[in-house]
Amino acid sequence: MQNTLSNETVFSDKALTGSVAAPIQLLLAGLIGVVILYGAVFIETPAVHNAAHDMRHSQAFPCH
Amino acid sequence: MLFRQIVSYALLIGVLSGILITAVQHWRVIPIIQSAERFEQTTGTAHAHDHHAHEPEATVWKPAPGVERTGYTLLSNVLIAAGLALVLLPVLVARWAQRTPSSGICWRGLLWGFAGYVVFYVAPAIGLPPEIPGASAAPLEARQLWWLLSVLCSAAGLAWMAFGTNRWRWAGAGVLLAPHLIGAPKPPAAAFPEQTPEVAAQLAQLAGEFITATALANAALWVALGLGSVWAARRILSARY
Repeated sequence: MQNTLSNETVFSDKALTGSVAAPIQLLLAGLIGVVILYGAVFIETPAVHNAAHDMRHSQAFPCH
Repeated sequence: MLFRQIVSYALLIGVLSGILITAVQHWRVIPIIQSAERFEQTTGTAHAHDHHAHEPEATVWKPAPGVERTGYTLLSNVLIAAGLALVLLPVLVARWAQRTPSSGICWRGLLWGFAGYVVFYVAPAIGLPPEIPGASAAPLEARQLWWLLSVLCSAAGLAWMAFGTNRWRWAGAGVLLAPHLIGAPKPPAAAFPEQTPEVAAQLAQLAGEFITATALANAALWVALGLGSVWAARRILSARY
């Protein structure tokens, strides 16, 4: 397939449609993922805890 | 834009994997949680596992049993799946930026999914087995800290072994095992200290079934996450040429 033949990288200028460098965009996306995971795993506010309770038990996250 | 593509694909993968794991949970995991909660209620120890017990029951919101509770569980599952995809996708895109594999989506997806399963389920669960409601456990903060340590060390150790380029890579095994050598925080008492021996035995059996059930549910989640993320990463990268 044509995408494997090219050595162009997503980090090249061609890959950018915005003005932010690709590595920064990747890092930002990953960071948002980490923030979501942090909230889902660790937030102990009672309402959040109760809403996420069954998911946390099922995921073997520390709960209670 | 790369960022927007990753977020959109992560949401799509999150919704699909979240629905899948909710279905598997409904089949195997939730019935066990509900049985354990019935034991808690019938033996009058409904607060035994509830560290917020000092707050009046009425003021603490919790989803109503049935559709509402399932709905919030689905929402939580979608969130966690999307969060995991948001971490996995940038890693795959960065790794394949130079050369995107044209074949092997299936085994690559299963392999990455297996790695995620080990990092986010197997490794933490070896030290801190998945608990049914009502089981005694070490202080929450200590368990959360060890959970985080185990996830970070497993990810770093596996990555080092898989992608290291010299023989030092095998030191990754040490990183992988370190949290287990340190040891997870142990519960202070017997698993179900407030129950009679007969009930405690029944609950211990439930706890055993719960480990199998969560192992299955998480395996389903990671198969979907691995395959979905590899598929999405290839689409994102191939659209760039």
